Amino acid sequence: MEGRLANAWRLTANDKSFIRTALLSEIRIDGRKPYEYRKIVVKFGREDGSSEVQLGQTRVMGIVTAQLVQPYRDRPKEGILSIFTEVSPMADPSFEPGHPGELAVELGRIIDRGLRESKAVDTESLCVLAGKFVWAIRIDLHILDNGGNLVDAANIAALAALLTFRRPECSLGGEDGQEVIVHPPEIREPLPLIVHHLPIAITFGFFSNDSILVIDPTHNEEAVMGGRMTTTVNANGDICAIQKAGGEGVPQRVIMQCLQLATAKAAGITKQIKEAVEVYNTERALRKIKRHPTSTGVNVKERQDQSVGK
Amino acid sequence: MEKKQSGSPPSLIDSTVVPGDVVLDLSSMTNQTIMLGGGLRQDCDAISVMKAGTLRFSKPNKYWVESSQKRYTPCVEDTVLGIVVDSKADNFLIDIKGPVLAFLPVLAFEGGTRRNIPKFEVGTLLYLRVVKANFGMNPELSCTDASGKAAEFGPLKDGYMFETSTGLSRKLLSSPTCPVLEALGKKLSFEIAVGLNGRVWVNAATPDTIVVVANAIMNSESLSGAQQIIMVEHLLKNIQ
Repeated sequence: MEGRLANAWRLTANDKSFIRTALLSEIRIDGRKPYEYRKIVVKFGREDGSSEVQLGQTRVMGIVTAQLVQPYRDRPKEGILSIFTEVSPMADPSFEPGHPGELAVELGRIIDRGLRESKAVDTESLCVLAGKFVWAIRIDLHILDNGGNLVDAANIAALAALLTFRRPECSLGGEDGQEVIVHPPEIREPLPLIVHHLPIAITFGFFSNDSILVIDPTHNEEAVMGGRMTTTVNANGDICAIQKAGGEGVPQRVIMQCLQLATAKAAGITKQIKEAVEVYNTERALRKIKRHPTSTGVNVKERQDQSVGK
Repeated sequence: MEKKQSGSPPSLIDSTVVPGDVVLDLSSMTNQTIMLGGGLRQDCDAISVMKAGTLRFSKPNKYWVESSQKRYTPCVEDTVLGIVVDSKADNFLIDIKGPVLAFLPVLAFEGGTRRNIPKFEVGTLLYLRVVKANFGMNPELSCTDASGKAAEFGPLKDGYMFETSTGLSRKLLSSPTCPVLEALGKKLSFEIAVGLNGRVWVNAATPDTIVVVANAIMNSESLSGAQQIIMVEHLLKNIQ
């Protein structure tokens, strides 16, 4: 029992009161202003549809895979989108191995709602044969390090992975046109998913004194704050989802203020994700160009004479 | 397979070594007493490294390997910063970032008797000294120095505590003063307590001084002396 206690991360009473008093003078412990985001770095792996996002200390990896399955009975012409979250004790000692805790499930639900309800990913284009075969897109989010604000980082990872994912092209064939032929990537270039817009999740933390609110709370701030709210908005100003699960009550004008702040931040983050995806796509295209190791000039006339001479 | 023998020991001192490196060949040194510190092991005639780090030597004959980790291995006579986790009848249970919780006897204070046992709430930060640290047992701590006086040990009020690696805490406590602390001390006034277990506590008059000092120290880990001074100047310019 004492061994396990030794592994937990603890916050001292000094830190709790310091974080609150510093916020009264609009100072956060990592030097940020209350409405400032941490630095976001979006990186991609070699495979299509794998991304790693760093938001300050927080790190999340997103992997997208696709499979041909039978569609749901009530939606025979739509593809399926599912999100799975995996947290391991490596990310945070309070995570237990094995079954996902409340936090992991809530995280998955927020991102799922943001993508599904706002119809960000076009599911009708994922239909291959109505009623028989559709593409099921599976997003796996692996939490690698918890430095606070996992929801935002995981959302960016999911979006980045979706934008760079390529599914194989398939066509109908066979005797009665009911067989699906999946073309390997070497024969036919795989296709990207149709993503209409990018819903960005922005998390706010509320502190009890004087209704102070901060954007993008770190691990320490999350342990001290009284309530939290995640708003999913896109760059066009549409609100895709809002999640406020418990915590202290917040007046309505603060919610409106949060939504306005979120829309402003979403534009910047959307731009950053799109730029990173552009760079990745350019690199990917360059990789496809096969170059000969050495190019020496060939004298065509000489070769013709030689072949004629033989 | 060729075994790499380090012919001349002085060449490995103050350089990075990894487990398996042979740093001393005893067959060439006779009639000498060598003292081995942490991270080194004797294999018949060779002294080999067990832990990755920097090899250090101090005259006349002490060798040891210095490494920096996030976790702390309790050693006797270390001064550490601990957080109270629980209080029992005889001991307080303190977290010092080691493998197990440590015990602080309720009487281990200056003038401590059964009548005036201090009441520490869960989450109190204490500056302590390690009295006993044996493998497999919970370490024992004390709030007095070896002669029984309080000597600055005890609870720390206000301020902000952050965690660093053990290597950085050692650097902050080394003499001559670490460049980052000197550069900060020239412009700002603050109070600081460094625990060898990788915890540092800072207190100052205003919150922004505390935040600047904390961030400057956290950033200084991988910088050289001159770079630390430049970094501090940069940070100070931003707040003025």
